[in-house]
Amino acid sequence: MIRKKVTRQEIFNRRAVIMGAGQLGLFGLLIGRLQYLQLRKADEYAMLAEDNRVNVEFLSAPRGRIVDRQGNILARNDPSYQLILIPEQSADVKAVLRRVQNIVSISDNAIERILKRVEKNAKFVPITIADNISWDDFSRLNLESPFLPGVQTQVGEKRIYLYGEDMAHMLGYVGAVQARSTQQKGKILEGRSGLEYLFEENLQGVAGNRRVEVNAYGRIVRELEREKGKPGAQIQTTLDTNLQTLAMKSLGNQSGAAVVLDIATGGVLALASTPSYDPNQLSVGIDDRDWAKLTANEKKPLMNKAISGLYSPGSTFKMVVALAALDAGVVTKNHKFDCPGSYTFGGRKFHCWERKGHGVVDMRTALARSCDVYFYDLALRIGIDQIQKTAREFGFGEHIGLGLMGERDGVMPGRTWKEENLGRKWQPGETVLVGIGQGYILASPLQLAVMTARLASRGVKAKPHVILGDVEESPERIEINDDDMDVVLAGLNDVVNHPRGTAFRSRIWVDGKTMAGKTGTVQVRTISEAERSDRVLPNSELPWHLRDHAIFVGYAPVDNPRYAVAVLVEHGGGGSTVAAPIGNKILTAALEQEPIMASKPSTPKLQTQSNGAS
Amino acid sequence: MAIQSSRTDTIRSFLAELNWGIISLTLILGMVGVASLYSVAGETIYPWSWRHLVRLVIGLLIMIAIARLSIKFIYNSAYVIYGTILAALVGVELFGNIHMGAQRWLDLGIAQFQPSEVMRIGIVLALARYYQGVYPEKISKLSFIIIPMLIIIAPSVLVLRQPDLGTTILLAITGLSVLFLAGVSLKYFLAGFATLAASFPVVWGRLQVYQKDRILTFFNPERDPLGSGYHIIQSKIGIGSGGFSGKGFGDGTQSRLNFLPEKHTDFIFTMFAEEMGFIGSLGLIGLYVGLIIAIFLVAREVKTQFSRLLVSGLAVSLFLYLFVNLAMVMGLAPVVGVPLPFVSYGGTSLITFMISLGVILCADRNANVEVGK
Repeated sequence: MIRKKVTRQEIFNRRAVIMGAGQLGLFGLLIGRLQYLQLRKADEYAMLAEDNRVNVEFLSAPRGRIVDRQGNILARNDPSYQLILIPEQSADVKAVLRRVQNIVSISDNAIERILKRVEKNAKFVPITIADNISWDDFSRLNLESPFLPGVQTQVGEKRIYLYGEDMAHMLGYVGAVQARSTQQKGKILEGRSGLEYLFEENLQGVAGNRRVEVNAYGRIVRELEREKGKPGAQIQTTLDTNLQTLAMKSLGNQSGAAVVLDIATGGVLALASTPSYDPNQLSVGIDDRDWAKLTANEKKPLMNKAISGLYSPGSTFKMVVALAALDAGVVTKNHKFDCPGSYTFGGRKFHCWERKGHGVVDMRTALARSCDVYFYDLALRIGIDQIQKTAREFGFGEHIGLGLMGERDGVMPGRTWKEENLGRKWQPGETVLVGIGQGYILASPLQLAVMTARLASRGVKAKPHVILGDVEESPERIEINDDDMDVVLAGLNDVVNHPRGTAFRSRIWVDGKTMAGKTGTVQVRTISEAERSDRVLPNSELPWHLRDHAIFVGYAPVDNPRYAVAVLVEHGGGGSTVAAPIGNKILTAALEQEPIMASKPSTPKLQTQSNGAS
Repeated sequence: MAIQSSRTDTIRSFLAELNWGIISLTLILGMVGVASLYSVAGETIYPWSWRHLVRLVIGLLIMIAIARLSIKFIYNSAYVIYGTILAALVGVELFGNIHMGAQRWLDLGIAQFQPSEVMRIGIVLALARYYQGVYPEKISKLSFIIIPMLIIIAPSVLVLRQPDLGTTILLAITGLSVLFLAGVSLKYFLAGFATLAASFPVVWGRLQVYQKDRILTFFNPERDPLGSGYHIIQSKIGIGSGGFSGKGFGDGTQSRLNFLPEKHTDFIFTMFAEEMGFIGSLGLIGLYVGLIIAIFLVAREVKTQFSRLLVSGLAVSLFLYLFVNLAMVMGLAPVVGVPLPFVSYGGTSLITFMISLGVILCADRNANVEVGK
């Protein structure tokens, strides 16, 4: 009995030792595992835990405002009212949405889409159910909010262009950020064209961010830290709001462009292009129907014709030809030529716009009355090379470089240009056409304004610019004889102020100040000899797209030129009847408001906006 | 006066007989539970911490009350207790509440309890009682294997039907450990292991979908990172991110932000390891090792086979719960739903462990008392 008992104890002890050893081994395994997780892989798991709990949210910075040269606001940010639904806060989402529908118009389709998202998302995730709702609806919704559980109003930001269509081409517009790859996160709007696009970097500011702790369901538990963003910088343009809106109004619903330059600085005071579009509509997202209307319009509202439209300069090119001739010493300022109404060269007849002819005219009179024959002959005498050289000095074929999207440089043709582009040799007959600004030569309204400014300033090449203060310290000068310049400027004065000048009806008189200029009427069709011998059809009898382009370039005041203007009306008819009156209106307005047009601003070109929301 | 002093003496000698080492380790572990549940609730005693404390006090009273019992009484009641719990398991099968997809709970009016949790004591009691009368000459005979096997299989089948695979396995291993300690020939264990391997396909087919999922994702948690594997991945992140010294009491992000499922019950260790780090975890495991060693020392000391097997069987059961829970939260075992003794929130689990310790204290106090034949 006793022996047996001892044996049981012995067996137990032996087995207990085995079992204890096994247990110790298993404890070792646990501690090894603990060591692996908490010591060897600690950093890795710490990172995973951090990833779990921390979310980064971006806070968009208010976009910088755009103001005109006097500091008037052109583009700003307004609160935009949104409607948010938090499904978990409303017991019956469908009923709540139906009640919202009674206040704000939301389509049944949209409601269905919202309901689908409610199904899919976690119940605390807010869903936007209406955007850009009116202030009236917004306040009514706030009033009704006790009966709309889960519906919240939210104030966002939208871009407002105070002058709408009048500044669309210059300011451009913004759109919702599309590319996920954009470097700056937290950005909501980005410039799509115009200054909005050109100065995106300055306007956008720096988005802030906040790191928030979220729980396993993604709900924000608390904010860990917040990095404040920087509001976008304010952009001050050289634009003068009065001149810009006047230019737009004067062009009306014709297809055209007008550019006004501050001659002394090169600042762009107005850059008009018609017809235009409403950037406010484009910024919130335009619907397909309206977009199709814009793109299908034959007057191309989306195109900024002031910089992207290329036209033959026509008679407005004659000053350049005259200067080229005087500069080359081919003729003197007293050179005269008899105009019988046409000019024959190489077996081809070149007509003057005045069928009866101008008779014997000198250079000044030829400019004043825009005699074509005088310049056909002059062009042939000096040759294309000399014309090309002088024309380039005055901005033809030059990249002006405002920086706006779509700026085109036009064409100033010559021998090498023709060989390179058309593979043929230059023909003297083509020189004859260039003499009156027709043929291959193409220029934008901006380039015509630049030419005018350089003439009026007697050759100062002030850099055209759109940001106030972006002035070149000592601009280049075109080397030109003062006497030569006198003849040409006298001709331009006569155009407007001489009773027989082509723009005499558009002369101005503001406090003794007058303007000078040059008209141009550009043929866009070939007039056959048959039509010519019978009766040349007037513009009024032609379809719109075959009518002449009307051009006027001018400056004022004549004695001390400050403002240069170029006006172009596509298929508008005669330069003197259609374009010159517009030039008249613009320069009159410029002279009338003279005192407030500071040409040398003291304000820096970009200033940081202190309050971006207003 | 004389009666009074004799009563005081009785209490004093009773207190002197108690194993204070075991009692203090138990209370420390219980308080770790109270503190952990305070932290995991977001540093508040509601809703878990205060209840755990109350249960700990009740458990302590029960433990001491049981320690006061005579070991002979326990010996004599062993089969009755086993039978009662078995009947309760049948009751669960018939009237139990379904909770989280499993039928484990029996409503007693004042409290719900899980007979399957208490069954591990019943099995150990019944087996220890049985082997008290079986001597080494006969122990490995087939006829002496049948009854112990029935004692193990009957409750195991009932628990498996609830279904609760984790507890079933723990019950079975606890019972088999008693057989091993009693001296049953190793041949049976080898044969049993072989049978188990052979019957695996059958068992697999009878498992619930969530059980299969848990086992499959245990072997490859990334199989379903947002579903069943989520528990294991998040638990490992919690433990690992604690690093050497932990994130500090109350600062465990994984648990506080609810990335941890069952953070106050089965995964309480994860939260502890996250906040207390490697050092704290080693300390906690050290407490358990100390407690298990203290219990085995009692088993070596007691004179009867009944007490030896009873005490060591209960120690094995404690060890198994501890090991499976820790292995589970560290990603070494499938998620089977086993609580961490004394720390996890859960009344039945805590009270059952306190009862076990009461029994152990009783056996220790009566180390030299003979029972049975």
